[in-house]
Amino acid sequence: MLIELRDITKVYRVGVETIHALRGVSLTIERNEMVAIMGSSGSGKSTLMNVLGCLDRPTAGHYKLTGKEVSRMGATELAHIRNEQIGFVFQSFELLSRQTALQNVELPLVYARGAGWRWGARRRRALEALDRVGLANRVTHRPNQLSGGQKQRVAIARAILNRPAILMADEPTGNLDSQTTLDILALFRQLHGDGQTIVIVTHEDEVAAHCQRVVRLRDGSIQSDLPIVSDTAGRFCEVVEARFRKPAARVEGAA
Amino acid sequence: MLSPLFYMQAIALALAQIWANKARSALTTLGIIVGVASVTAVIAALVGLKTKILTEFESFGANRVFIFPNRPDNAPRNLYPWEKIRLKTEEVEAIVAQCTTIKAITPVTDIGLSAESDKEQLDGLTVTGIWPDWHTIENRAVLSGRPFNRVDETNARQVCLLNDAAISELKLPMEPLGEHILLGGRRFLIIGVVETITSQMFGSSGNSAEIFIPFSVAAKLQPDEFFFMRFSALVKSPELAEETKSEIRFILRKSRGLVGDEPDTFQVEAIDQYIEQFKALAAGITAVAGGIVGISLLVGGIGIMNIMLVSVSERTREIGLRKAVGATPSAILMQFLLEAITLSLAGGFVGVAFGQLFAFGLSKLPDAQLDKAEVPTWAVLMSFGFCAVVGIVFGMFPAIKAARLDPIEALRHE
Repeated sequence: MLIELRDITKVYRVGVETIHALRGVSLTIERNEMVAIMGSSGSGKSTLMNVLGCLDRPTAGHYKLTGKEVSRMGATELAHIRNEQIGFVFQSFELLSRQTALQNVELPLVYARGAGWRWGARRRRALEALDRVGLANRVTHRPNQLSGGQKQRVAIARAILNRPAILMADEPTGNLDSQTTLDILALFRQLHGDGQTIVIVTHEDEVAAHCQRVVRLRDGSIQSDLPIVSDTAGRFCEVVEARFRKPAARVEGAA
Repeated sequence: MLSPLFYMQAIALALAQIWANKARSALTTLGIIVGVASVTAVIAALVGLKTKILTEFESFGANRVFIFPNRPDNAPRNLYPWEKIRLKTEEVEAIVAQCTTIKAITPVTDIGLSAESDKEQLDGLTVTGIWPDWHTIENRAVLSGRPFNRVDETNARQVCLLNDAAISELKLPMEPLGEHILLGGRRFLIIGVVETITSQMFGSSGNSAEIFIPFSVAAKLQPDEFFFMRFSALVKSPELAEETKSEIRFILRKSRGLVGDEPDTFQVEAIDQYIEQFKALAAGITAVAGGIVGISLLVGGIGIMNIMLVSVSERTREIGLRKAVGATPSAILMQFLLEAITLSLAGGFVGVAFGQLFAFGLSKLPDAQLDKAEVPTWAVLMSFGFCAVVGIVFGMFPAIKAARLDPIEALRHE
């Protein structure tokens, strides 16, 4: 089991108000799954992603990542976990504007433990990652010389550089047009085909449809957690939407 | 542990930041630039002044030591008769043999003698007996003729040197070399004319007649063997004056068999009080300059803290991203600290460059007596050291702020 969440709760305090962002979420994700986490704003999907991505600690509950309990780790340990086990892809790419594509991709290696002086090896790895996302010819370009899709590819190359256990994508296609969205989703599926575990947080059904499984959150709890059986992009949408419209029928459909 | 690559990239990034915000960085580091430039220039000026004054002291005898016979204070005369306290030729020879810090030494004795030339006869003229080394010690060369040499001394040759005042008082020709004069009834050959030095600072007036003869000759001319003599020595460098004084004191006490807390029967003095006074003055100026620099470094440091806070706030998203890809709080802290130090050191570098420029300008000023002004290496290193400290002290707060940012909040920051 790659990811095991048990009774995860997250409580924020904003002024005098207490917000229950997650109310006892239990979830397991196996190696090489491709999971979509969906939900409207305020459903707790961002909080869940932050917990899964080790950016945030749950208030209560247990989180085992590759068999290791991470829910009580300190900031430094979590940083190492993020560096070694998790690759992030964000809606707005988050590339460093003054650095080249290659330097952006190399960034996680700057903070890698025990990296030492092996520069040749790290450069090779960064070039390899850029090649995997199809940008071998854009190595020395800076973000302002790249299109939106290319920027997101650089970000994906950066995320997969350390061969993370999970690739976490937060609305990865939110800033892209529909053709580019399809290209990026195709890239995700290709990486998934190579054995990468991927978790995509999205509110778009078309995006979720490319996954194997959809976890839907509502008011801080899992509302549904269903596999997708079909394989064609067009049919996914229908299946997913139909299931969400009729909660009762969903369970049968899943079975 | 942070990897070497991390440090390389952090410094490269810091330099890139400074370069990308050239105007801002320049204004920020202005306080540091002004502070470092002014302290560098002041130190250069002080060093120049010190070199100049010490050189001057040296030419007049700052590195000279005088040795006199001296009866201890309040000591009964019968306990310390003159034979016991007077200086002896053996003692100057002992000093020559044993003292390691002197360059030259001479015994000096004054005798009142009658002097007679072809045209004039004078009574009670002071004639001084000296060793050849006296020329080195007094820094007085001969204007014409030759100085005394060893042969004059060992053979007790009846030769003499005199100054311009003596020439005119004895109504000798302007070029008296080869003339003879009678001193105490004996015939002396004039072999040279000695330069006259006028110095208000050290009180050797140049207007009186001076006649010099070899010390061995002067010793023979003394009425008795217990005549008065003093020693005059030249120290290798002014800083060694104290050491020389204690060396000579040790040698003389040993030769006189003085033990325990028996008082000295002689006195050793160096003209170093002027140097001490000047050094105190220089230290005072340095302290004032240091205070001014401290204030401008404080102002500069606050500027750096301010700009680093701006930088942290501007780059909050970047910090969030770096944390997301695995930067630990200490890595972020180190990165911003290195940036503050780099900024501060860059200011220090420009400041030192300006200081060098000022120092060069000072050394070229006419009449400023600062032609020896230069920035010593220790001042440059000290400036960089202070800048690094300012960078660390004032960069710490913004760096801690950056390190403590919550990655989620930081990534959401607009």
